[in-house]
Amino acid sequence: MSVENDGPVLDVRLSHRVHPGLALDVALSLGREVGVLFGRSGTGKTTLLRLIAGLARPESGRIQLGPETLFDSARRIDRRLRDRRVGMIFQDDRLFPHRSVAANIRFGLKGWPRAEADARSAEVAAICGVEHLLDRSPATLSGGERQRVGLARALAPRPRLLLCDEPVSALDLASRHAMLRRLRDVRRIEGIPMLYVTHGVDEAVAIGSRLFLLEGGRIVGEGSPLDVLAASRRPDNDVPIAFEGLRNVFPGQVASHAPEQNATTLRLDEGPELIVGHLDRPVGTTVLVEIRADDILLAKGPVEGLSARNQIPGIIERIVARGAEVEAVIQTLGITWIVSLVAPAVAQLVLRPGIAVHLIIKARSCHVIVPDNPTS
Amino acid sequence: MSDLAPFWLSVQIAAMATIVIVAAGVPTAWLLARREFPGKSLVAGLLVLPIVLPPTVLGYAMLQVIGRRALVGHWLESSTGITLVFHWSGAVVAAAVAAFPLFLLPARGAFEAVDPALEDVARLLGRGELSVFLSVTLPLAWRGLAAGMVLVFARSLGDFGTTLMVAGNIPGVTQTASLAIYDAIVLGNDSARAGRLTLMISAVSIGALWVVQRTLPAGRPTR
Repeated sequence: MSVENDGPVLDVRLSHRVHPGLALDVALSLGREVGVLFGRSGTGKTTLLRLIAGLARPESGRIQLGPETLFDSARRIDRRLRDRRVGMIFQDDRLFPHRSVAANIRFGLKGWPRAEADARSAEVAAICGVEHLLDRSPATLSGGERQRVGLARALAPRPRLLLCDEPVSALDLASRHAMLRRLRDVRRIEGIPMLYVTHGVDEAVAIGSRLFLLEGGRIVGEGSPLDVLAASRRPDNDVPIAFEGLRNVFPGQVASHAPEQNATTLRLDEGPELIVGHLDRPVGTTVLVEIRADDILLAKGPVEGLSARNQIPGIIERIVARGAEVEAVIQTLGITWIVSLVAPAVAQLVLRPGIAVHLIIKARSCHVIVPDNPTS
Repeated sequence: MSDLAPFWLSVQIAAMATIVIVAAGVPTAWLLARREFPGKSLVAGLLVLPIVLPPTVLGYAMLQVIGRRALVGHWLESSTGITLVFHWSGAVVAAAVAAFPLFLLPARGAFEAVDPALEDVARLLGRGELSVFLSVTLPLAWRGLAAGMVLVFARSLGDFGTTLMVAGNIPGVTQTASLAIYDAIVLGNDSARAGRLTLMISAVSIGALWVVQRTLPAGRPTR
């Protein structure tokens, strides 16, 4: 994909007060690639997307899309929505309920010669896998089907940029994967740059080639999704990123398989080995593993006769109280973990910095994320 | 005097009043639902006044505006030769003004119920404002608009006080069914005629209400 390197397609520099507690101050450049805007809720991701789309007007700044300036407060440029040629899909499908699937898809093709419009709607319907739904009414579709129709509709008029605002967060797991697969097809076939908002690690890794980490209205990290996400979890990093539901996210490689035990061993980068459920990927595959902070148990010594497959020795580095919850920051070989506990447990186990503990992790608690495009 | 003449006049006047109301009411309701402007709540309040004012008071107020010596009435007569008072056109205006809020309120509600996000999607897909209105807003609001239309038609059909004040009660000219029923009882003591007209008007009004009932429950667009 050499086209990814021919300069920025989208160039955004803007300041905007979302509410008294949050001001966006963002500079962002995107090539012909999939950029992920990643962050907790309330960090301004969706607002930023709406400002770029033109659904809201930034207080100041500039938005450049290819050769065209969509917005420039200094030059008083603010292109109308209809002239921006920016496609957008949303958390909810926003299909026109009074129109068939086919009419929804053709909605943006008004004024096209009939034959071209026919060909284009057939093309995007095929890419999005909705060609068998064309005569249906949106009300009769499943959530996943609606989102795919919304995607086809957004793509039909050949927008120059596709903005995705958490398009799979309301879907069940199967539909989620189907939708992400379609989005990757879109990227491959249409070559359209995308900006994708999410707070889900697996989505970010599955779809993104570049990740922008948003915190408090600012971009605090940028780079390949694996790198940025892995770095952001380290408590020693200057940037305090609290994921929704505390998570440990580590990059690693498939080290070996034990099919008879339905298990795969991962070697975490510079860290210990971790046994996870069987993973159908060759040895050496780079993956990301995600473990919720409250899925890890602590023991003060090795435990025998335990069903959990991972016991990793470590040292408590510090203990941070967060309301009724307590976060223990634990160092193991090369890796820092976060374990969330309730306060009485800390008192009962007499946990304090410097104490040796064992992290006990069930294989099933390790959520392995396999990037679709490990090269990017 | 045939029963049919006042009945037919009532239907014609109600139909024309409905057209006038929809022509004025659709843009007004859209403005109130979608745009902010200074004095909006005052305007919205004034437009609903005909519902709360006694019909005679409304009629008197209208005479102060469209009477032959009043500002608008005089100008209209001198420039176009049209005299509204004591003319069927006056009855149309009277019925339209009296019934206007009954269209405005559901129409405004219907426009407000259309998700503005859908209109934004249409704009993102390259549509201009008129196209957005015609292809998204109007089709999604039409049930509410249709309900309002039927309501004002039924209401105009039975208008009495305001019509009497503005257009008078001239048999064959401005005597609508409601006025004819009143005359039949009070002047002619012809209760058979009153009964026949009542039946005819009631049939149309109840029929209209039935249509409203059929239209309203599913009035929200399916989402």
